Amino acid sequence: MASKPIEDTADWVGTRLPRKEDLRLMTGGGKFLSDMVLPGMLHAVFVRSEYAHARIKGIDKSEAVAMPGVVAVYTGADIEHAFKALDIPVLIPNLPAQFPKYHALAVDKVRYHGEPVALVIARDKYVAEDASELVIVDYDELPVVIDAEAALEDGAPRVHDDSKDNEIFAMTFTGGETPEEQAANDVEVEKIFAEADVVVSERFKVHRTGVTPLEPRGVLCEWNESDGLTAYITTQRPHIDRLALVDVLELPAEKVRVIAPRDMGGGFGIKAPFYRENIIIAHAAMELGRPVCWVESRYESLMNIGQERDQINYMEIAATKDGELLALRNRGIGNNGAGCIGVYWGFVMPFLGAVEMPNAYTWPKGDVKLRVASTNKTSLTPSRAFGNFPTRFAIERSIDIVAHKIGMEPAELRRKNIIPQLPYTSITGEYYDSGDFLGVWDNLMAQIDLEAFRKEQAEARKEGRYIGIGFSCGVELSGVASDLMVPMENQPGYGAASVRLEPRGKVYVFGGDAPSGQGHETATAQAVAAIFGIDPDDIVVTTGDTTTTPFGSGSIGARFGSYYVSAVAKACEEIKDKITRILAHDLQIEAHKQHFEFKNGDIVYLGDPTKRKAFKDMVERIIMWPINLPEGEVGGLETTAFFEADKPMICFNADCCMVEVNEESGAFNITRWVTSEDVGNVINPTIVEGQMHGALVQGLSNTMFEEFVYDELGQQMSADFEHYKLATAADVPDFEITYSSTPCPHTPLGTRGIGEGRPSSVPGALTNAVCDALTPFGIEITELPLRPNTVWRKIQESKS
Amino acid sequence: MPTINVTVNGERYEETVPERLLLSDFLRERLSLTGTHIGCTYEGVCGACTIHLDGEAVKSCLMLAVQADGHAITTIEGLRDGSLTPLQAAFKANHALQCGFCTPGILMNMTEFLEKNPNPTDEEIRHGLVGNLCRCTGYVHIVKAVREAAQSTTR
Repeated sequence: MASKPIEDTADWVGTRLPRKEDLRLMTGGGKFLSDMVLPGMLHAVFVRSEYAHARIKGIDKSEAVAMPGVVAVYTGADIEHAFKALDIPVLIPNLPAQFPKYHALAVDKVRYHGEPVALVIARDKYVAEDASELVIVDYDELPVVIDAEAALEDGAPRVHDDSKDNEIFAMTFTGGETPEEQAANDVEVEKIFAEADVVVSERFKVHRTGVTPLEPRGVLCEWNESDGLTAYITTQRPHIDRLALVDVLELPAEKVRVIAPRDMGGGFGIKAPFYRENIIIAHAAMELGRPVCWVESRYESLMNIGQERDQINYMEIAATKDGELLALRNRGIGNNGAGCIGVYWGFVMPFLGAVEMPNAYTWPKGDVKLRVASTNKTSLTPSRAFGNFPTRFAIERSIDIVAHKIGMEPAELRRKNIIPQLPYTSITGEYYDSGDFLGVWDNLMAQIDLEAFRKEQAEARKEGRYIGIGFSCGVELSGVASDLMVPMENQPGYGAASVRLEPRGKVYVFGGDAPSGQGHETATAQAVAAIFGIDPDDIVVTTGDTTTTPFGSGSIGARFGSYYVSAVAKACEEIKDKITRILAHDLQIEAHKQHFEFKNGDIVYLGDPTKRKAFKDMVERIIMWPINLPEGEVGGLETTAFFEADKPMICFNADCCMVEVNEESGAFNITRWVTSEDVGNVINPTIVEGQMHGALVQGLSNTMFEEFVYDELGQQMSADFEHYKLATAADVPDFEITYSSTPCPHTPLGTRGIGEGRPSSVPGALTNAVCDALTPFGIEITELPLRPNTVWRKIQESKS
Repeated sequence: MPTINVTVNGERYEETVPERLLLSDFLRERLSLTGTHIGCTYEGVCGACTIHLDGEAVKSCLMLAVQADGHAITTIEGLRDGSLTPLQAAFKANHALQCGFCTPGILMNMTEFLEKNPNPTDEEIRHGLVGNLCRCTGYVHIVKAVREAAQSTTR
């Protein structure tokens, strides 16, 4: 998509505008949570469990308390009755599950290596760190269960004493609402499998990996009796965190304010849950009457959050010999870990992964079931591609395996089964509102010459070189409608924004969803600038302060381009209505909004372009001189708008990856990566491409490098960046991002929310390419991570 | 407690510091130069704390403040003199940053990189970046910005 020249201010939408955020961030002027200092601020350090599963017999904190500079030490026993446990309604989704009770600090027992056990607060962070090592915890070790399938067996060690077993969540996603309907459906599916030409049946395993923003978490709380609690939290969802603090600490709602710092160093989902650390830091600040700050260390971060995926899928596909997909059957087993995180409890991610499993293909029938097991790992936390990564890998690999079985080109099999027309409701009940999947697919194929590649591949094989091509595609949520958000997370899905004009014609926008690097300030300003016909520099965007912004469920699930910016547009249009009503009255003409153009700082009457007024003058007139107004009008220009789409919305993409595999070592190189995107109308293509690059590299890094490793005792072996390897610049390729976009018909600007689910297309495309390269060996890889050693082993197995 | 003399962004400081105080904490907490970031908590892997010590890019979390005694330091706050440097301008023009947490360290590292290698290949740029982790951008736009800055200054 070429950049549009800025001929007039209506062109701000669609322009590659450099970001408003960049100047401060490039010059050391960003203000991140750990940059904040308040007078009298104390520093907190957590003591965390050394065991994956152990009874706490006692804690001796006397030495730590006695250390000079230490102000307080809290243990589970100190806080157990001071405030509520974290199983409060605002943190509980409307899904049937065994929700474990847990406190801010472990009370009776620890359930994973790294769980918070005590909190040390001191005047100096070095002293707090020293004192934390003097807290002596007496543990009685308990049997540990790390494997999800083992956890679901009878007699497995029970992770939560208050649950009847380790099955935290189980659900059937197909066949109807009642067990009878579902059972009848299962019989029909079984019949299809029994009669099908081809059946593919594989066990797909995806390891534990996820997202690790470069800025870890942090909380800074201050308290005074008149204003109450102010909590600065690295959070994507300040309004939800505020409600949780109100409910757990049982404070009057007007006494709690949460502020997400304007600058946050990435989130990718991990800053979306409500965390127990927030509660104890707030409690300490209130009790001590001084600001208390906790900044998470990388070690703590890698042990506690950013862990997702970790799922086994027993997937079966029935197809005809001509490559028509007939039915999908899946038994998913998710490894939840201990699940002690508010809102998500771990299993909400695998839940959504199961909902989204059918992807872009027409399945006449399906039988999709999921079980999620509590284990002695840390909880799954939301990670970009929310729940989707393991199921998308399984589906996209299965499609290729079907193609290999019937001797069909995998690209052709995909095209044959891609949903030809939207809207469409999937076998799991997911509604796909709009788009042109085949258009996106055909655009991808137009970027590559598949026939030429196959010829080159055949030639290369003669020389002993193995090159391969792999495909995948992905339906991703574009925001999450209340229809899904209320049942899933007990929260609304609408977008909300306040737009306030000040007398000199400048515009302030306030949003409750807190961004963490996605360029929301810039994209919001571009949308507002286009609507009012003014310059993006005249727009100031404020996010994340619960006192000044309208309620929003947070920066999650690609809500910006779908819900949030739509609310901004709606608010701007309401203000335009008022401006034009008053302007028509001033000009003594019969005219409505559609008769005026807002352009290049002017408001022009289209019926007679000599009748015009400068935007800023008109704004000043309405705010400062509210006399001689039309009957019933008052002065002032400010409104809050809420946007809810009639239907859930999606975006769509297709990917192609080319590789060369070294048959001797198993090493593989990505030689080309091309994408085709339906991202709706684009506000800023450069920002969209940045989102895609980042998501693709996260996907590659998850697929090839990153892995959270636990030993058999549940000890975490990967809690630093030496052991938890992230992709560096030298590890990853360049990407060709291409577009085949359709405007979303349900949003005012035709935009779609993009980028959230995007990493999930990566493991399928890459692994398919590697397997395609190795077709002569008949290799089908069904487990991640995908590394040279696994590829090498597969080649050896095939040779022997 | 020892006393150190350091020049930071052209300003001279005489400060008494505990022996164990990390240079990164000295800069952030004592001098309030919070543009130097801590991403991997003192492992020296993420590169967000990169500064210039006598003109050389170093990771400030792997040094003690006392080791900086007698040296001159430049942090991200002192990188530009008035207008943006060509590298900063290229970062803005090419959307080479998203959350901006890794950006100060990358700018410090690649400024020195371009001084030593004013005309790098893409592969050299990518290898020059391995000491800096970025989680948002996928590195594509960073590589492009460094290439463009090199071209604009060698032209």
